[in-house]
Amino acid sequence: MTAPVRASLMVTCLGDMFFPEVGVRVVRLLRRLGVVVDFPEGQTCCGQPLFNSGYHGGAARLAARTVELFKAAEHVVVPSGSCAYMVKHEFPSLLRDSAARESAARLAGRTWELSQFLVRVLGTTRFRASVSGRVTYHDSCHLLRGLHESESPRAILRNLEGAELVDLPGHDECCGFGGSFSVRLPEVSSQILEKKLKNIEATGAACVVACDAGCLMQMGGGLRRRRSKVRPVHLAELLDGGAS
Amino acid sequence: MTPRDLFLTRIRAEMAKTRGLFPARTAARPADPGAVAETIRRQLAERWPAALERFREEFERVGGVFHRVGALAGVPQVVAGIAHEREIRRLVAWDARELGGDLLPALGARGLEPFAMPPGDLPDVAARAALRERVAAAELGLTGADLAIAETGSLVLRSGAGRPRSTSLLPACHIAVFDRAALIESLAQAGVFLELWSREEPAGVGAVTSFITGPSRTADIELTLTRGVHGPKEVHAVFVDAPIRG
Amino acid sequence: MSDTDLSVPFRRRANGALKDRHLQEALTIATTKFIDLRREAFGEFPEGEGLRDLAREIKEATLQHLDRYLDQLIDSVERLGGHVHYAGTSDEARRVVLDIAARTGARMAVKSKSMATEEIHLNEALEAAGVTPIETDLGEYIIQLAHERPSHIIAPAIHKTKGQVAELFAKELKREVAADPEVLTEIARGELREKFLKADLGITGANFAVADTGTIVLVTNEGNGRMVTSLPRVHVAVMGVEKVVPSMTDLMVFLQILAKSATGQKLSVYTTLVRGPRRAGELEGPDEFHLVLLDNGRIGQLAGPLRESLSCLRCGACLNVCPVYRQIGGHAYGHTYPGPIGILLTAMLEGPRSVKDLAHASSLCGACVDACPVRIDIPRMLVELRREGAERRIAPWTERLAYGLMARVLGSPRLYRWGKPIARLLQRPFVRGGTIRSLPLLADWTQTRDLPPVAARTFQERWRDLERETS
Repeated sequence: MTAPVRASLMVTCLGDMFFPEVGVRVVRLLRRLGVVVDFPEGQTCCGQPLFNSGYHGGAARLAARTVELFKAAEHVVVPSGSCAYMVKHEFPSLLRDSAARESAARLAGRTWELSQFLVRVLGTTRFRASVSGRVTYHDSCHLLRGLHESESPRAILRNLEGAELVDLPGHDECCGFGGSFSVRLPEVSSQILEKKLKNIEATGAACVVACDAGCLMQMGGGLRRRRSKVRPVHLAELLDGGAS
Repeated sequence: MTPRDLFLTRIRAEMAKTRGLFPARTAARPADPGAVAETIRRQLAERWPAALERFREEFERVGGVFHRVGALAGVPQVVAGIAHEREIRRLVAWDARELGGDLLPALGARGLEPFAMPPGDLPDVAARAALRERVAAAELGLTGADLAIAETGSLVLRSGAGRPRSTSLLPACHIAVFDRAALIESLAQAGVFLELWSREEPAGVGAVTSFITGPSRTADIELTLTRGVHGPKEVHAVFVDAPIRG
Repeated sequence: MSDTDLSVPFRRRANGALKDRHLQEALTIATTKFIDLRREAFGEFPEGEGLRDLAREIKEATLQHLDRYLDQLIDSVERLGGHVHYAGTSDEARRVVLDIAARTGARMAVKSKSMATEEIHLNEALEAAGVTPIETDLGEYIIQLAHERPSHIIAPAIHKTKGQVAELFAKELKREVAADPEVLTEIARGELREKFLKADLGITGANFAVADTGTIVLVTNEGNGRMVTSLPRVHVAVMGVEKVVPSMTDLMVFLQILAKSATGQKLSVYTTLVRGPRRAGELEGPDEFHLVLLDNGRIGQLAGPLRESLSCLRCGACLNVCPVYRQIGGHAYGHTYPGPIGILLTAMLEGPRSVKDLAHASSLCGACVDACPVRIDIPRMLVELRREGAERRIAPWTERLAYGLMARVLGSPRLYRWGKPIARLLQRPFVRGGTIRSLPLLADWTQTRDLPPVAARTFQERWRDLERETS
């Protein structure tokens, strides 16, 4: 027998505080797939909010502690595209110290957004859905254009038993979140969201799937406000039955 | 120091501060563009029918009208057809040597009022002004073309003695005549000819090379495509099967 | 007037644009159309991706030897009998043009569309000096008649309806005409034809300048570029120093992707290659040719954080795909260059303080990088500008304090853990049915969106239980 795959969960700050259920689903899902999951204690945030607003000193300190926390991980699984992007692409250049830089580069190579981990590392695309009917998928910007990942989540969703994947018009367009952007220019952000929600509702899907806590906060907030029937869900919440 | 030196010195000072640049090269230029051009021509000796077909397709796609005649002597009939249909008659044309033949008598005989551009400059200012008025009032402009690019449906015209810029610009209808010698396949190939032309400059060559891809157009008002803003409203390309220059 | 009032804060300018229903409709139609056209053009041009990489490499290689290529360009232009001028600032550039106008006794100047001359505000200076500047690109002409500024790099009058243009023509040209683009274009053709034939001075920018041959390259669809460089007796081209390319072969690489990115055409209607003044034996063309090399903040970025933006071709593709531009249009940005690349160019021309707010007018979605023909990493540089704002204390102290606090809390697992019960306590009055519909600190955010509350048990608080579960 080969040794089991081991993965450390990076739950992210938004995931920890606002969407804990996503983290729980990820852990159960991975365990069902035979992965040994651990959760390094002391996690806070990858530093992206600070980084994107230009506070790179603070971001670098968070990067350094995150690199240290996950030093021993075989794989790091992140249920959020933008945080995975932060770790993989911004950490190495953010750290000054050459040893830390090297550790960051090593971490970058072992870090995966959830759908990538499922498809590219575990090689699984067949799952049972926890919902039935139409689902549609929103490409979160950092996952799509930062990590160039559009296929893994779709491969999973296409194969999902009990669910039908329908195309979202403007699937590659931003939902208008952008972290501090939605706070600094809330009206512009809202109007971008408005278009996104119209597109989502036009698909007739029962739920819109995304792989990023930020997008889910934005789209979910908008859908709830307009009392939409469409449910915002994280990919992990949809993959109920494990491998079918 | 001259202003030029001062300017370049400032640039050098800033360049010296750059760090961590990635290695980069410019595009590979043909060492002997003449030889490459020859190769292109040789290849086209066989491939030209496909290139011509592609040119026609692309040229029509950008709103051009394509014609084909057996020999240069067939051109006046095509031109007269265009003129009669639009009920226009005033035509200005490149000098006969630049067109490859004197088409004016035949055009005149078909009811047009053709006027040939002088083979060179006019030293007299008044004469030049009068000529410009004549061109501005003309309804048709007849020119040759140095290249016809299949990939984009573009005509390339070099200005010079006997081939003024305005002939293809001021009249509302531009007609360009070309043959197999001008036909090439791609923009990349056009680059070879531009390299070649910039190395050998016979007397009489002008300052401007124009790529013309269909009639003048704009979409500046509500993105509605409208033809003929400043340049010609119509562009016709007449392909001549028999080599124009023998 | 319609010029953007920069004393109004950016957020209010942007929100004004959001409420302009006509503008909203125009923006949606235009940007969607441009996006589709671009996608189609590259869709049927598989070699496009490789050419984009090559184009970027050529730009970079040129910048690495910019002194050499400019030196070569200057030699080439002078060999052709042209004159080269050097302008460090907008002011110097304006003075060069005004001197030429004065010396040649010019009374009227026809201009073909040029962002560089917009950038240096040349028209106002010409008018003040008694030279009438006429914009001849149809969009620019409309904008000039309306005393406005362009709202898009390649479609300057994108924000105007045909009805508004017809009204404008009636008022300014005393011509009562139908609100039909074709009719309006015909009117402009007649009006401007007269000006072309009368003007003494032709003023252009340059899409490219080929060092090896001294060729100035102008790309237009209307033919005004040809008119302006053929009919007046003097031609002045104003170009940023970064527009130089080494050879004709390099030029062709850019021509293969420029129009596809801008308008989805394989090639714009007119690509005009101009080498100096009229030659011996040539009947037409200017007696004098002047090239004005413009620095205006560019040279300072050769080793600066905005270096990459020196590769910009001014195609406008990043505007069309930018979710922010698509909502607010060009005027709200308030400067010559709008959209994501415009923020960088504004910072380059006017310094980082000028984009204190604009640097944040992006969700960093990265659509611009994908659309850019030379793949300029605009979001990275926007983050750089934000960093400059934070580190050079351009950002307000309240913001710096807030982020300092955030860094403290997130930097300490203990503070982070303690923060949660405090947050739960504070949010309690606002949580209804598991959601927050309004929160004083984020009142504008919650105007249109619910906010999820901090969970009763966060993931970390659940991990102990989860650890004990067996799979």
